[in-house]
Amino acid sequence: MPVAWVLILSSFLFSVGIYGVLARRNAVLVLMSIELMLNAANINFVVFNLLLHSISYIGQVFALFIITIAAAELGVGLAIVILIFRNRSTVSIDEVSLMKW
Amino acid sequence: MQIDYAAVAPELVLTGALCIVLVVDLVLPDNRKGLIMPVSLLGVAGTLLALLALAGDPTRTTLGGMFVVDSFAVTLKILFCVAALLTLAMSYDYLRKEGIHQGEFYFLLLCSLLGMLTIASSRDLLPIFVSLELVSVPAFVLAGLQKIDVKSNEAALKFFLFSILSTAVMLFGMSLIYGITGTTNLAEIAVRLAATPVLRSIAVLSVFFVVVGFGFKISAFPFQWWVPDTYEGSPVPVAAFLSVASKTAGFVGLLQIMFIAFHGLADVWRPFIAAVAILTMTFGNLVALTQRHIVRLLAYSSIGQAGYILLPLAVVNVNGGSVNHEAFAASIAYLLIYAFMEMGAFSVAVAYGREGGYFIDDYAGLGYRAPGLAVVMTVFLFSLAGIPPLAGWAAKLFIFRAVIDGHEYWLAVAMAVNTVIALFYYAKVVRRMFFEPAGDGPLGVKVPLLLQATIAVSTVMVLLVGILPDLAAHLARMSTLV
Amino acid sequence: MQQVVFGIVAALIVFAAVRLVTTRNLVHGALYLLAVLAGAAILFLLFLAEFVAWVQVLVYIGAVVVLLLFGLMLTRAPIGNMALDSQTRPLAAVVSLAIFGITSTIVWKTFKGQTVHFSKPNTVDTLGRAIFSQYVLPFEIVSVVLLAALVGAVVLARKEE
Repeated sequence: MPVAWVLILSSFLFSVGIYGVLARRNAVLVLMSIELMLNAANINFVVFNLLLHSISYIGQVFALFIITIAAAELGVGLAIVILIFRNRSTVSIDEVSLMKW
Repeated sequence: MQIDYAAVAPELVLTGALCIVLVVDLVLPDNRKGLIMPVSLLGVAGTLLALLALAGDPTRTTLGGMFVVDSFAVTLKILFCVAALLTLAMSYDYLRKEGIHQGEFYFLLLCSLLGMLTIASSRDLLPIFVSLELVSVPAFVLAGLQKIDVKSNEAALKFFLFSILSTAVMLFGMSLIYGITGTTNLAEIAVRLAATPVLRSIAVLSVFFVVVGFGFKISAFPFQWWVPDTYEGSPVPVAAFLSVASKTAGFVGLLQIMFIAFHGLADVWRPFIAAVAILTMTFGNLVALTQRHIVRLLAYSSIGQAGYILLPLAVVNVNGGSVNHEAFAASIAYLLIYAFMEMGAFSVAVAYGREGGYFIDDYAGLGYRAPGLAVVMTVFLFSLAGIPPLAGWAAKLFIFRAVIDGHEYWLAVAMAVNTVIALFYYAKVVRRMFFEPAGDGPLGVKVPLLLQATIAVSTVMVLLVGILPDLAAHLARMSTLV
Repeated sequence: MQQVVFGIVAALIVFAAVRLVTTRNLVHGALYLLAVLAGAAILFLLFLAEFVAWVQVLVYIGAVVVLLLFGLMLTRAPIGNMALDSQTRPLAAVVSLAIFGITSTIVWKTFKGQTVHFSKPNTVDTLGRAIFSQYVLPFEIVSVVLLAALVGAVVLARKEE
């Protein structure tokens, strides 16, 4: 199977994630869009591992670490979102903008 | 697998210390939480001692070749530990007055410091990525620790979103690098990039993604939007820690990747870095002119400083040689000096802020009300501006020389222009302090002992390096990787 | 065979990803994310990364999506249609299209002739050995990241007395 197909899929996923980050204004939706980008990187790592026949399995190991870190970050991120909601009753990024320049 | 325990001793000491901090926090009653601070201070001091024992040793490599202890790693780790010590000393009274959870604060600060130590020893994309996350994840929480303050909440959210976005972009770039070279080891990436005829475009694309990812961490233009809001909203000692230690950690990662893995592609990324550096310093300095809040002023000033530190990368030569060496040394020397002047300025802001306020207007007539504080603030601000004979002047001179050696004269001109612009806003604060009548601010500010120590150490370093710039220059030249 | 599976899963991922960034309903968004993650897990299985695939299912789908749904409920996000997009949508579309265009052209040019061969079986055994010998440093660092995240999440989300 041509590896380029997989890479184009992951590039698409990455770009959709960027769109979501720029176009969305709800913090949780922005978070989900970033998860798309992380998954694009994961797909790349796994398919390159297969393509290159890495004996060290570094591609798969890298993907595992990305998944772990993403979970840890999400825990902290949701704690921040809940904190903000408790204080302001909104999680919209537009409204959470007391400070400019 | 054999483990060289001497090489990992500082990290082991610090890991032990942070576990002790966690347990001590658990058993202490609420009114005795202040005791955690000496415990953390001892932990970092112990780490520093273990590091000093490693100084001057030949290079050690352990943990499957992932962990390298050389003079670069040791120098920067010492810098991180000193920055952490200053932050700890700065935080103690601040936290008690603001009612911030002390146990968690010190624990998270030590976690972040551990990530900084490991990033200085990482010569592989995987540990660099993981260490950067260990630097950032506790920092999100630190930024939001003033829980009832909406600004602090927002600081944490912005920092968090920008940081994981940058991580995602960086990881996508790293995956492409792995795809074209088949390795994540920095030295091997350089070898394979030189050996295999890969398309230029894909190499450039992946380097671009990685640089963009680091651009957020070091607050380079146009990825600096989170910086002023996050610094202003965070507890002030956290802002100091972020602007010194966290930013330096980002630079450490970037310098390693650019100088070891990608220097063969320098032709391609040099103009891009030059543009980013110039835009970063110009943007930071111009917007700083309009600021009225001291922490935001320092935030924009730190963006401007990031531009200076980035500048030597714009003269990197494909063939290596002394130009690269000098450029690397100049960036490191600037980082070493920058840490003390920035820490000093922030600690004065902490010392005065509680009673006097954080707006620049509040500093009116400080020279008559608290002359000591006003004088040291002047020292730090003039050092940041680069006025001789203070340390900042030497730092700028190193960068200037490196750029001239690389024959990029227009960069030197841009830097000189920026230094003049920057002088205006630093001088504005100084003028407020000495040439305006005292407002209704407090007379005579009481500075807690620990904070006095922070200010004293920073002042001494700024003056010492200003008089003997070769100290920093020599240390930096010893600690390069090229 | 593999190409057919890839085609179907890729179509699913593309559809779910696009819906995720355009839907006007937060909970639907979380479910589309789940579909993307499940699709990625199938791809990992296809590319002989069995362990990564099951970690993806357990951690990402099992923990992350559930956490997100909890987050949505705890913040009592209005469930149902609402305006979730900012004013910068056209700009966002242009930027992301440009990134997709450039990235996909370059990867297409670079990896045009190369194909993956589904030959070498990968066992969890070898992966485990790799993690605990060569990659033990990042593993240890990650453990501290998890500890810090745990403490951090608790201290932030806890209600003050």
